[in-house]
Amino acid sequence: MQLTHLNANGEAHMVDVGAKKPTQRQAVASGRITMQSQTLQLLADGGLPKGDVIATARIAGIQAAKRTHELIPLCHALALSKVTVDFELDMQNNCVHVSALCRLTGQTGVEMEALTAVSVACLTLYDMCKAVDKSMRIEGMQLDTKVGGKSGDYQRGSDDRQVAPWVAGESATGEVHLGDRCVGECVRVKFLAELRERLGHSDLSISLDALDTKDIAGLKSLLGARDSCFDILRDQRTLCAVNQVMVNDCARLTDNDEVAFFPPVTGG
Amino acid sequence: MNIDVCIQTQAFDMAYAYKDLLENRSDVGAVVSFTGLVRDFNESPDVTGLTLEHYPGMTERTLEDIGKQAWHRWSLQGVRIIHRIGYMAPGDPIVRVSVASAHRRDAFEACDFIMDFLKTRAPFWKKEHARDGDYWVKERESDQQDATRWQGG
Repeated sequence: MQLTHLNANGEAHMVDVGAKKPTQRQAVASGRITMQSQTLQLLADGGLPKGDVIATARIAGIQAAKRTHELIPLCHALALSKVTVDFELDMQNNCVHVSALCRLTGQTGVEMEALTAVSVACLTLYDMCKAVDKSMRIEGMQLDTKVGGKSGDYQRGSDDRQVAPWVAGESATGEVHLGDRCVGECVRVKFLAELRERLGHSDLSISLDALDTKDIAGLKSLLGARDSCFDILRDQRTLCAVNQVMVNDCARLTDNDEVAFFPPVTGG
Repeated sequence: MNIDVCIQTQAFDMAYAYKDLLENRSDVGAVVSFTGLVRDFNESPDVTGLTLEHYPGMTERTLEDIGKQAWHRWSLQGVRIIHRIGYMAPGDPIVRVSVASAHRRDAFEACDFIMDFLKTRAPFWKKEHARDGDYWVKERESDQQDATRWQGG
């Protein structure tokens, strides 16, 4: 394992990401600020002297995510496509849980942006409440999940090991929509394992009426016509199952069939 | 048919499948078991772990079907197939196949057959984690060839 922000001489440098292929990246970070129960109650009731604390902290978190590169020396300036900051008031543990999600399609990850959003949202909460409570603590700042990029997916587990999603049907690369919300008879199409990651889709719903022929060959040509990335489905190594039974291109499709495309199997 | 298939995220007890096959019976003459383990050296020389994905529903059906094929082909008394999914570290068992029969040849061959078919038919995919990144494991041509040994038999 190497620290990418240090060069061969151990000096700090900014990593050149120019050669990296843009992919969809997403990161979720969280943290909390604990306070006296009276402070939390005031916050919940909107009785604090500086006004709407949560709305202000949310804007602060979003602004901070966008300006991460100004704060963290070797971070790139990124055009984030989505930032959300959420708050949960926890009366039982006298704290506010803060979580931030950042997303973009680009050449570098967004973990630092999500962590910065959480940090600044927590600091803003502190600032807004400090008139009544100086003993507040900002705690447990951490990256929860990260999707996309060369180093792979990360999900904070109970044992902190690298864990990638293993249950079929969960999107690993974020949702990319084909805009095909199905009306009438349709088939549900799943892409599994490496195929899901390469295509950026895990589940699609396709109208049977849109198919030239109501079979697997017809489904493949419809998808191929929409986007050339689906040409991989015609690769003879790509396998197909209808209602969980392996089939070939001639297999007929009927309403509500579950079609799965997947790469050669590698279990055992 | 005494066939049992289990897909689980937890590590399994290697002795359990064996004991379960023999419980309350004395007519079994042979048990053959195969265990597949995670290696730290595969496509990359420094594998730190792997994550196994599967296709819930189809996996169980496929393994039961493979067990049934073996049952009809050889004279067997019991089949147990346990396969793990999720994260595993080097040295962890991934799969355990145990076959009981009256005579050893049936158990040896049926166990071999089940593993060959499991490797080429059951919808499992391995993603290996190595120091320089994650990658999906490629299928092996030799596994396909191994599975063809049972054709026409």
